Amino acid sequence: MTAIPGVFLTLAYRPFVDPIDAHRLWFLLLIPLALGVSITYKAVRTVDMRTYWRQVALMTLQIVFGIIALGAASYLVIQHLLPAVVPMR
Amino acid sequence: MTTPPSPAHQSPRLDPVAGVLALLLPGLGHFYQGHRLRAAYVALGVLGLFFGGILIGGIDSVDSREDRIWFLGQALVGPIAFGADHLHQTRFKVLDQITNQPRSADPGEARDPRTARPYADPTGNGPPNIKSLAKVNELGTLFSTIAGMLNLIVIIDAGLTTRPRPARGAPA
Repeated sequence: MTAIPGVFLTLAYRPFVDPIDAHRLWFLLLIPLALGVSITYKAVRTVDMRTYWRQVALMTLQIVFGIIALGAASYLVIQHLLPAVVPMR
Repeated sequence: MTTPPSPAHQSPRLDPVAGVLALLLPGLGHFYQGHRLRAAYVALGVLGLFFGGILIGGIDSVDSREDRIWFLGQALVGPIAFGADHLHQTRFKVLDQITNQPRSADPGEARDPRTARPYADPTGNGPPNIKSLAKVNELGTLFSTIAGMLNLIVIIDAGLTTRPRPARGAPA
């Protein structure tokens, strides 16, 4: 529902035209992003196509857990390490 | 007896036709070379990311006027990206009354399909599309841009190939 002064509009969602309402769970979109990257990259890099989907799954997990690890490391540096090295006055 | 070198160690062979075909449609270059399974996976990945980005951020994710730098990446998907951008510019944007330049319609505005001019329509169907904002816009744009950048890898792989064509009857 979009609010403008004095008026309320009920706008139906139109796929591929309007954005989805994923403002609270946007971080979950990392998973299909990692899957899409893995599907394309492994399509050109895999030598033996019999192992293709296993390699796609492995690369997807590597990306997702790698990003989670980077996020956790950034959190530790900003919230704990930097305040210890350079105390806030 | 010598063993044939693995594909990774063979010198690349120039295949400009496959490179151009890969730019025209993701996966078409590999399909032309006979690698049909690879072609299907490339098309699934690149087009899935590109249209996934439009699904997430709406048609507003592909915008050569407002997000020119991002569109440079998206353009590598090929004519499909230019088609999506053309559709966005000509069917969804309104022509500003003052500047006469295309812009996204504001909430409460509708678009005159004949003149592309905006008009106030608070009780009608609303704007042609809702402009995406914040993380959803960023992720939609990112999805479709990464699709284009991955297709650059695919174009190079098809245009400078090390793989032999599969033999007739062999699984592609």
